[in-house]
Amino acid sequence: MELVDVLVLVLSFGFLIFLGVPISFSIGIATLATMLISIQTLPALTTVAQRMATGLDSFALLAIPFFILSGQLMNRGGIARRLIDFAKVIFGMLPGGLALVNIMAAMLFGAISGSAVAATAAIGGFMTPMMKKEGYDGGYSAAVNITSSTMGLVIPPSNILIVYSLASGGTVSIAALFLAGYLPGIIVGVALMVVAAAVALRNKYPTAPPPKLKEAVLRFLDALPSLFLIVVVMGGIVAGTFTATEASAIAVLYTFILSVIIYREVKLRELPGVLLDSACTTGIVMLLIATSMGMSWIMSYEQIPQNVSEALVSLTESKVMILLIINLVLLLVGIFMDITPAVLIFTPIFLPVVMELGIDPIHFGIVIVLNLCIGLCTPPVGTVLFVGCGVSETSITRVIRPLIPLFIAMIVALLFVTFIPEISLFLPRLFGYG
Amino acid sequence: MIGNRTAANNEHSFLAEARRRIDRALAFLLIVLMGANVLNVLWQVFTRFVLKNPSSYTEELARFLLIWVALLGASYAMGRKLHLAIDIVVERLKGKPRALAELASLFLIFLFACVVMVIGGARLVFVTLTLDQTSAALQIKLGYLYLVLPLSGLLIMFYTAAYFAETLSGRREASDGTR
Repeated sequence: MELVDVLVLVLSFGFLIFLGVPISFSIGIATLATMLISIQTLPALTTVAQRMATGLDSFALLAIPFFILSGQLMNRGGIARRLIDFAKVIFGMLPGGLALVNIMAAMLFGAISGSAVAATAAIGGFMTPMMKKEGYDGGYSAAVNITSSTMGLVIPPSNILIVYSLASGGTVSIAALFLAGYLPGIIVGVALMVVAAAVALRNKYPTAPPPKLKEAVLRFLDALPSLFLIVVVMGGIVAGTFTATEASAIAVLYTFILSVIIYREVKLRELPGVLLDSACTTGIVMLLIATSMGMSWIMSYEQIPQNVSEALVSLTESKVMILLIINLVLLLVGIFMDITPAVLIFTPIFLPVVMELGIDPIHFGIVIVLNLCIGLCTPPVGTVLFVGCGVSETSITRVIRPLIPLFIAMIVALLFVTFIPEISLFLPRLFGYG
Repeated sequence: MIGNRTAANNEHSFLAEARRRIDRALAFLLIVLMGANVLNVLWQVFTRFVLKNPSSYTEELARFLLIWVALLGASYAMGRKLHLAIDIVVERLKGKPRALAELASLFLIFLFACVVMVIGGARLVFVTLTLDQTSAALQIKLGYLYLVLPLSGLLIMFYTAAYFAETLSGRREASDGTR
């Protein structure tokens, strides 16, 4: 490792980020600057360009734009309301009923749409007015909505897990990661529900009467087509019938039929706009991936992961301590950085470290994503937090207090997931992965 | 003085007009490519599960379309200033330092698009064309596939230059409040 090269990489990246240069370009420019020191100019330019193009040349990556597209269709397709009505049947009668409904609906919507921001906006848009009408505090409603919406990133299908699989150099199968996400996501959901219910009891928030059987059945039947999407997509992937990419294309077809033909909430003439929005979001994510491929190449060329590993091991020999340190670093990173670039930058650094300690890469993927989900809800950089405050028309300062107990619940759940690998690995093993 | 101002206005309206046209063409291209790729992969699933005779070219076509959608989409996102950035420091700045930071940031993006995407990309196109590399299934020359690098590089240069001119002339309303 040339110290100068590493200094150039780290310092130029830091400088560019603080200058406000978009993260994808910061990664690209820092990589280029580092390469220019070690190789000749023209070959360096071509190498970076080539890394960008070949980094995107992957059939597995194609699942990301398709899940984005099906998420966009779902967003406009009246699916959120049906999931909420269904969740009300189950949780409406418990203490803090509407808060629990919000948590479950946000997790379901996040899971099938694959986007935490979409879940925050779609579910929060319906739930917050309802909760305010029943006397719930606005900040509390927003806090519940914000934290639970991020669980859609852990519960499959999940684009960020595909990104992790790519950043791990393809050592981890997408199907295994998807399976691994279920239990941790549900555990966080339950932890959030317990806290939300406790707060609701203390504040004496109202509960709804138990639903009539006929209504319950009707609500369930109405939500069934939306829920069935999970079965189609995940069933096909887990059974090995089709790849994640083929499943994502089927998800597009399915949500198209659902929202355009059955529910009739999306008009045909809206489709070009939906396609354009998805292509634009795709461009943002893919440029990050493209430039990160160059950066991870230069990082392994400079043997940065090995050095980080040596430094960590020289600090402490204990596996528990190293995992705690990594968790702490990731929590800090998550406060300042969005989840996709964070996964792309830190997976190649930390994954070799933890694999040397005998930690399963599937398990570690869930830990990284769960950890960074917490960062999505914190200022100064928290997309989900901002959107959640926006849809519920609350200020960030009013959300922070009710957020704190929910954060603690998430961090406790994170510690459980970190130190009990079986939570993540049970399902993948059951289906013969890992 | 008055003459100068009219010239400047004309320049801006010319730039605005060029931008509108590029935006529309790019949007059209993205919609077509994205839609085509969905149909393409659905066709792959159909040939495999229904016709039991998997198509040989769909996977390659899907990968190539993805590269085009990704990089052209990234240019489109640049035109809308939608790329994720950490602006906590820049947001604290006001007046001249802030404008300077924005100009520096735009200039660096411009430079990256120019040297890596346009020059490096064009060289990549040239090299693969002279080596006459073709793709396995579709028999497309790989050089044509890589053309998207210089193309999206030029588009990003155009958008950053437009924002640069806008910031310089102090017309900021279009660039604020997108995300």
